[in-house]
Amino acid sequence: MTSSLSPAQAPVEKPSPPPVAILPAQVAQIYSFVHPALLLSLYAFRFKALVAEPVQELLADLPWLALLQLLYVIVCLPPAGSAPAADSSVPDSKASARSSSGPGAVLRSSKPGLRKRHSGGKNDWSRVWAKLMPTFLSFALTSFLATPVLAILLVLFGAPLTTHNVETVLCAAHMALLSATPLIYVHGVDGAVWREVWGIARPADAVWGSALGTGLGAWFGAIPIPLDWDRPWQAFPITILTGAYIGYALGSVISRTPFIYGKRIQFVPEEDDDEKKTN
Amino acid sequence: MAKSVRASVSKRNRANLRKNVFGPVADARTERLAAKLQELASQPRPSQEKPTGEQSSEKAGEDANGANPVMNEDEMELDAKASKNRVQKAGRVQKRNRKPRNSMVSGRMAILSGHWAVLLANLLVPVGILVFSTGFFPYKPLLPGLAILEDIDQDVPPVFDKVIFMVVDALRSDFVYSHESGFQFTQSLIRDGTAIPFTARASSPTVTMPRLKAITTGSVPSFLDVILNIAESDTSSTLAYQDTWLAQLKARGDRLVMYGDDTWLKLFPGMFDRADGTTSFFVSDFIEVDQNVTRHVAFELSQPDWSAFIMHYLGLDHIGHKAGPKSPFMPAKHREMDDVVNEVYSALQQEPHLNSTLFILCGDHGMNEAGNHGGSSAGETSPALLFISPKLEQLGTQLQSPIGQNGDFEYYRTVEQVDITPTLAGLLGLPISRNSLGIFIPEFLNMWDSDGQKLKILHRNARQLLTTVEATFPGSFSSENPTGLDCEVPASDIARAQCLWSRVHELFRETNKEMAFRTISPALHEVLGIAQNVMSSTASNYDVSRLGLGLLITTAAALLVLPTVSHQCARSYHAGLFLALMVIGYGAMMFASSYVEEEQQFWYWICSGWIFYLHIKSGAYKSSSHHGTGLFHRTNAATLGLLMAQRILRRWNQTGQKFAAEPDIAHTLFSRKPAVMWALVALTYMDSGYHFLQGLPAAVLPRLGAFVLPALALVFKMNFVANDSPELLADSILSRLMEAWPKDLSLVWQARLVFACLTCCSLVAIFNRGNSKITGGKSEFAFELADVHIDLAC
Repeated sequence: MTSSLSPAQAPVEKPSPPPVAILPAQVAQIYSFVHPALLLSLYAFRFKALVAEPVQELLADLPWLALLQLLYVIVCLPPAGSAPAADSSVPDSKASARSSSGPGAVLRSSKPGLRKRHSGGKNDWSRVWAKLMPTFLSFALTSFLATPVLAILLVLFGAPLTTHNVETVLCAAHMALLSATPLIYVHGVDGAVWREVWGIARPADAVWGSALGTGLGAWFGAIPIPLDWDRPWQAFPITILTGAYIGYALGSVISRTPFIYGKRIQFVPEEDDDEKKTN
Repeated sequence: MAKSVRASVSKRNRANLRKNVFGPVADARTERLAAKLQELASQPRPSQEKPTGEQSSEKAGEDANGANPVMNEDEMELDAKASKNRVQKAGRVQKRNRKPRNSMVSGRMAILSGHWAVLLANLLVPVGILVFSTGFFPYKPLLPGLAILEDIDQDVPPVFDKVIFMVVDALRSDFVYSHESGFQFTQSLIRDGTAIPFTARASSPTVTMPRLKAITTGSVPSFLDVILNIAESDTSSTLAYQDTWLAQLKARGDRLVMYGDDTWLKLFPGMFDRADGTTSFFVSDFIEVDQNVTRHVAFELSQPDWSAFIMHYLGLDHIGHKAGPKSPFMPAKHREMDDVVNEVYSALQQEPHLNSTLFILCGDHGMNEAGNHGGSSAGETSPALLFISPKLEQLGTQLQSPIGQNGDFEYYRTVEQVDITPTLAGLLGLPISRNSLGIFIPEFLNMWDSDGQKLKILHRNARQLLTTVEATFPGSFSSENPTGLDCEVPASDIARAQCLWSRVHELFRETNKEMAFRTISPALHEVLGIAQNVMSSTASNYDVSRLGLGLLITTAAALLVLPTVSHQCARSYHAGLFLALMVIGYGAMMFASSYVEEEQQFWYWICSGWIFYLHIKSGAYKSSSHHGTGLFHRTNAATLGLLMAQRILRRWNQTGQKFAAEPDIAHTLFSRKPAVMWALVALTYMDSGYHFLQGLPAAVLPRLGAFVLPALALVFKMNFVANDSPELLADSILSRLMEAWPKDLSLVWQARLVFACLTCCSLVAIFNRGNSKITGGKSEFAFELADVHIDLAC
């Protein structure tokens, strides 16, 4: 995929997809802020039921969360995929370099704002298709890949292994819907992107920020569990999931602020570039 | 990567700048200074030659660098002067102070000042801790000497003349009172009314020695006693010179005997006429430690010479520590203790010389659900306390027993543990120990017939308690209180007690004998209650100014090292940030009391985060598309392995408070599948044997030793387990194997065989190592040897 770049140039620093901007349409801009707030308030609304019956509640919420997330990605985010519109975009050095890199890459992110503008003239069917395909893909991959991976990570980070398995999987499913669905919708299966995601090296944008926020929030959500307050909400998946939801909302909003947007977390020791962790 | 390339380029640039631009300027200035100073130094004593001059110039250079901010003005002046001399001196000076040395000196100085700050901080931290401790461990004035009975108390006859004091370590209230208890006989005594049950609230720290101090002196020991409890060899904690009910008995000329926990012997050296101490060091000993007490009971019960017979059983505490309060060993231990109670009670009924003997059964502290103690949870602070004697039947308190389990372990009436001292003193006719903060347990007032005697008991208790208040707050009770004060709304507790005390005296003067008890005793009880509260709270009276000063000093120390630390942290970038966050998080954690007990959770949590960070960090370098291996790269596999190992370790042993009873590998899995445990044990021995093999010479015989030794050790271990805790051999194959093993070879001989073999092999290996003369390999081998020893010891 990246064979066009010579290793001598900069082996790791091949141009990675730029940060993803929310679609410029007003509906998208507004809903992108409404959505995290909506999710949080819905979570708060169902919190009591969640504490009372975690498994049933998580399971019942799952389709609704999936619907909301799919609505969010369709309305607010540019889909992955080599839509013909992308090729007709105004020459942009990075975007063109990438699109020229291979017709083999079926699903590719592209400069979203531009494509949106230019795809206006295309017929409706291709627009719908361009959105539907990543939607299905993100939904399928979220369920069959992201959820098991997150469940394994949860266990490795301390979730119970011999008990609470259903809770773990459901918690992972919720986290996957929060973090992975938008990522897959926007980036498809671009290996470079996913390597960056795994290496916490994506430039900050709403999608990546919310995914990172979900993970970090879940990690910080483990803190209240050992406290001796003896509250029912201290049971295993609840605090983790609460942290994940809060982290999702915070991450998606904070990473879009102009100061943070587009910056990366650097794990290579550098003294020049004092970038702080976004979360 | 490009960024890092950029960074390294700019780093190089800066280094170049430092070397080529700033360096010469700084060096030139140092040279100028040095030249000037040297000139000054050489002027008064021109006879002295170059060497001294050189030295002083170097020194001057150092000084000027080190004390830069202070000497700023002088430096400027020197600079101005030096510039004049520069032309003449330049040639000479440059020969002496060459560049490299000069820059080295300045570099060293920069580090040195940091070093001094760190050194100073390290000195300040202990000072700060000391100052803090002096404020944190309050000084309590102890009244010296033994109390004596005053004349007005003489006409209160003692109810009992002897006491049998049976302490069962960690006897939590529910062990005796609940339905699950094995104390059947004791419960029947409660139903008969010959045993009066209480829950005796023990204050924290709930460890044996402070508790014994509380029981015997009636005072509330400080936290300092916890440390002394651990440093058991320390004799400064002795109670030999304090007023205890034991000392009172001894002073009366009575004889005391004591069997059980040797803490008593350390607390009361020379107090006992006959004693046999048991040590609580061997925690896995549930049986011998108690048999060593019980075997003396029958003899002592037949002896008429003592007036206090103390027993202190440790086995129940040992079971708690090893297996928790719900251990299968517990009911059997309950029954064993109950049998002792039965034996003693029958003796009280039958032996004529024991017919006026009080039998007290109590725990020194309780235990929590994990079987540990020391803290202040409900389980730990609620030991049982029973006063037993056939004479107590006259009180007519026939209580229901057993009674249902309740969450706070408060069965029957709750009294303070320190109340034992004045109650015992009153019942035995002894003066109340001078530092006692206890209140006579009112249930036993009815052991006296006349109201006057009851009042005298209470009055004596109040007088003693108010004397201790007076000693702590001088002047509070010396002046006669103006009468007619409203006792309901006084300024402080002490003033209220003062007021009530004067009212008591008023009542004594005014009321007639018949009405006296009913009117005075409530006021007396109130005085006692207030005084006890006031005195108990002084145990936690902190010297706030000292605490503040201590904190200030440690803060200063922290600020001193802050530049150095932040510099170091900044150099390691994210790792430094992570460390800083970890330290801050750890500090913040200390404010959550539950996290003090669940500290391991913090480390698990931060550890998994750290491993993930390491993974990402390595991934940032390694998972480039050229390898094409991505997630399955070796480094990533290693981090995954690390994470998994961390996860397994996390569940190996359930520690802390909250999840202590939940299943884990060491207790649940191994007891369910002993084969897994034995496989791991065998693997460990094999690993030790393999390491041993490396150190042994290549000949056949010694090599054989490396196989024989682990095999022998394993067999010994299995035999030991088969003898000691056969439930770990539940696996049918292993247990049958053990049955087939010849029993006539005793364990001790097997152990000797193993250790002899180990010694032989070690000597051969060391000799071999010495011959092969591999330097540097020795320490490694020593580690292996230590490893083998530890494995075998386990």
